[in-house]
Amino acid sequence: MKRAILSCNGLDKPEGSVAREVAIRGADATGSEIICPVLLNRAPARYRKALSESSLLVVDGCSTRCATKLAARLEAKVERKLLVSDAVKASGQALEPTLNLGPNGTALAQSIVDELLRNLNPPPVAEFETPTEYLVVTHDKFEFRIPVVDYVFNENDVWARVLDGVARVGISDYMQQKLTDINYFDAPRIDAAVEQFGELGSLESAKAVFEIISPVGGTVTAVNQAVIDNPGLINEDPYGAGWLVEMKLSTWPQDQELLLDPAAYAETVKRKAAEE
Amino acid sequence: MSETTFMGVPRDKIPWYPMIDYDKCTLCMECDKFCPHRVFDRREGGRIPVVANPNNCVVFCRACAKACGPDAISFPSKPETIALIKQIREQEALK
Repeated sequence: MKRAILSCNGLDKPEGSVAREVAIRGADATGSEIICPVLLNRAPARYRKALSESSLLVVDGCSTRCATKLAARLEAKVERKLLVSDAVKASGQALEPTLNLGPNGTALAQSIVDELLRNLNPPPVAEFETPTEYLVVTHDKFEFRIPVVDYVFNENDVWARVLDGVARVGISDYMQQKLTDINYFDAPRIDAAVEQFGELGSLESAKAVFEIISPVGGTVTAVNQAVIDNPGLINEDPYGAGWLVEMKLSTWPQDQELLLDPAAYAETVKRKAAEE
Repeated sequence: MSETTFMGVPRDKIPWYPMIDYDKCTLCMECDKFCPHRVFDRREGGRIPVVANPNNCVVFCRACAKACGPDAISFPSKPETIALIKQIREQEALK
């Protein structure tokens, strides 16, 4: 599928200048068309063909996320979202307080594009078998499945399955049902170091935004491109095809101290469902 | 809505909830609109957002801080909170 880049114009903030630069460099590196947010807002028909044929790389300068909100309003297919203000914080390097790009801003724009390219071309993933046996927790008309073996959970409804120093991570059947139809996976970047209970991106549904709290500490080695392309896989198969990321473990087995086995998580789900 | 425990620790013993810096807050109410757990409420005729139900906050979730354009919401340190949870669990185990 083709790609197009929708960026905030950001004429009034240094982060906006970086966003614009990311769009230009990103378009060059990925062969994408650039979509002008002002024209898109004013005359969406101008970009109807591009939006129907492309998935969007959305670049926001600040947390107001004008470009993201515009894409959501037009129900455009979004492949990746990039937020410059987060990248500034992660870099630990302040931007020059001017609207003209300085050396820091230019370097940051290039590093955001480099990271984008790495994420668009992820390395191969590990082999994990899909579970076959489940515990079932029943509450009213709902049934929540929990794999009988091999999975561990944190109390934030995120599971990990560990194999040879690598963990595959996803959300539980209980949480996917609570969120209802998931329409976006904001994935963490490949190579990100995440501590146990750190953030592994987020999921968005019509009902809520869910921050993915990591059950394990480690480095992100893969994200599930199939889920980015089709987030509904999480609802269809949360323990199998709907997995989210893989991580090389760094604090295992100590992480297990604050994790639940399937039976203990089943009790937690019972309690949570009753408390709702 | 509020969970009574987290990792076996009474929720009200875990000081994890958002704090609003009113010097930065623009009163846009994005936090209240965003959070599905009713952590926030509005005071003074609906003009001012407040953290009305801190124990409704999902421990370790910081999603509302990201939705806050002016960056007016902060949370406690995660490592310190994890250490506190472990400490309370150890104390409970000794009882």
